[in-house]
Order: sequence, then C-alpha cells, then structure tokens
Amino acid sequence: MCDNYVMRSTRNVVEAEPGAEMGHYSDPPLLVLASLAGGPKHGHAMIEDIELLCGTRLGPGTLYGAIARLEQQGWIEPLPPEERRRPYRITADGLRFLRAKLITLHQFSEVGLQRLEPL
Amino acid sequence: MNPGLAHLLIRLYPRRWRERYGAEFEALLLDCDGGNRTLLNVVWSAACERISPTQGGNMDRDPLSFGAVVRRPSALIPLAMSLTALAIVMGHIAMYGHAREADEGAAAHLWQILMAGQLPVLAFFAIKWLRRAPRQALEVLALQAGAVLASMAPVFYFNL
Repeated sequence: MCDNYVMRSTRNVVEAEPGAEMGHYSDPPLLVLASLAGGPKHGHAMIEDIELLCGTRLGPGTLYGAIARLEQQGWIEPLPPEERRRPYRITADGLRFLRAKLITLHQFSEVGLQRLEPL
Repeated sequence: MNPGLAHLLIRLYPRRWRERYGAEFEALLLDCDGGNRTLLNVVWSAACERISPTQGGNMDRDPLSFGAVVRRPSALIPLAMSLTALAIVMGHIAMYGHAREADEGAAAHLWQILMAGQLPVLAFFAIKWLRRAPRQALEVLALQAGAVLASMAPVFYFNL
C-alpha cells in the first residue's frame, strides 16, 4: 500500500531522492500544503491525494515530520479527531506561503522550460 | 500494518512527540502495509525526530528557555570552536609533550584562529539575545566563557 516512498528530512527540501522516479517532485511540506489547499484531510487521505497530485507517495514518517513542522510554523492546524484519525486544515498564513511558493515555482519552471526549448 | 508492530514503531519517537502525535500516527500506520519501506521510513523519521526534535504544535517549548537559546547556532558555534581548540591543544600535548617551541606550529595557529574567530559570533549572540532573553543569554555566555577558559587553561598552564 505505502510504496515508492520519499524518505527524507523535512527541514530542507526540493531534491529528488536516489531511486525516485525522474519527474517526481518531493518537497513534503509543500506537498502537504498543496493537498490541504483542497480541503481538510487526515494523514492517509493526504498520502493518497499527494500521490494523485504529483506521483510522489510520502512515507508515514515523512508525512508526520512535515505535518509537525508545518503545525509549528502555524501553516496548518489540527481539527477535532475523527475516531483516532486527526484531520488538518491549512491556515491563512499557510495559504499565503503556498501561493507565494507556487508563484516562484511557476516563474522558475517557465524560465527553465523556455531555456530548454532551443535544445 | 500489524497493531503490535505499529505500537512498537511509535515507541521509537521521543515521548513528547508521542504524546502529541502518537495516537493519530498509529492510526495512520495501521492503514499502511508493514513492508520494509514503511519500516525504514518510520525508523529513519524517528531517528531524525530524536536528533532534531520538531517541537511542533502543542509540544512547543518556550523559545526563550535556556535549552532553546543554547541551541541557537550563534550559541553553539563558539562553544564548538572553544572545544575544538581545547582538543587541538590536548592532542598536541599528547603527541609532542608540553615543551615550549621557538616557532609556532600549525596547532598554535589553528588554536589562535579558533579563539579569535569566535569573537564576532559571541558578539552577535550577545547583541541579539541579551535584549530578548537576558537571563538565558547570560547563562549561555557564562557557558561560552567557561569553554574559552578551558581551552586557554592548558596553554597558560604549560606556558605553550
């Protein structure tokens, strides 16, 4: 079930793991924020959603490393638990950060792709 | 995943982390398979959490506590430099004895660089933290002063 994991520290980000398929994006905190931008989710739903979003399947340890750091930064917040599962939602600060980060990535990818065109 | 294995894996995490995330993380593990990748991922993440605690959510430690202040790079770097300087002196004494040499060697130069190089970092720490957390900053500065004195002691004791 949990296969093809990205296993990494969540302090620094954006680097494909050795063995990860080329083209898979692995920045666990950003992936979690992007997933929660679509609505509150608990851990397992986030793993599934992130895999649909970009093909990267986060390991449970990696996911909770990212969740803990994002919660510490105030970019996500916990909701009341549903049985033992606890959903999280993105905060206003988290949305601001996500938007700024995605705009930067968008500009970066546009310029990068333009440079690749003549090659 | 087997509930017993999930429970065992949770135990790898620090107590404070378990108190905050343990129940929900265990629920997530029960939804995952118990394959090697899952095990490795959780063991690795637990090791990272022990080395560099997240302190997320409700686990927040007071950011102005001594423990939090002393973990700041500007507090740790001078301590590391003083201890490295001490190790260099002690290593030099162990290998070559404590007879005074006419010409300063590489060890002496390294010691001088480490001792002088930490001064700007110490100044930065003092300027930044004495205002924010005076008592904790003074405690850290006392620790740093102790490390400086410890690294200077053999130099003056043996008149190197």
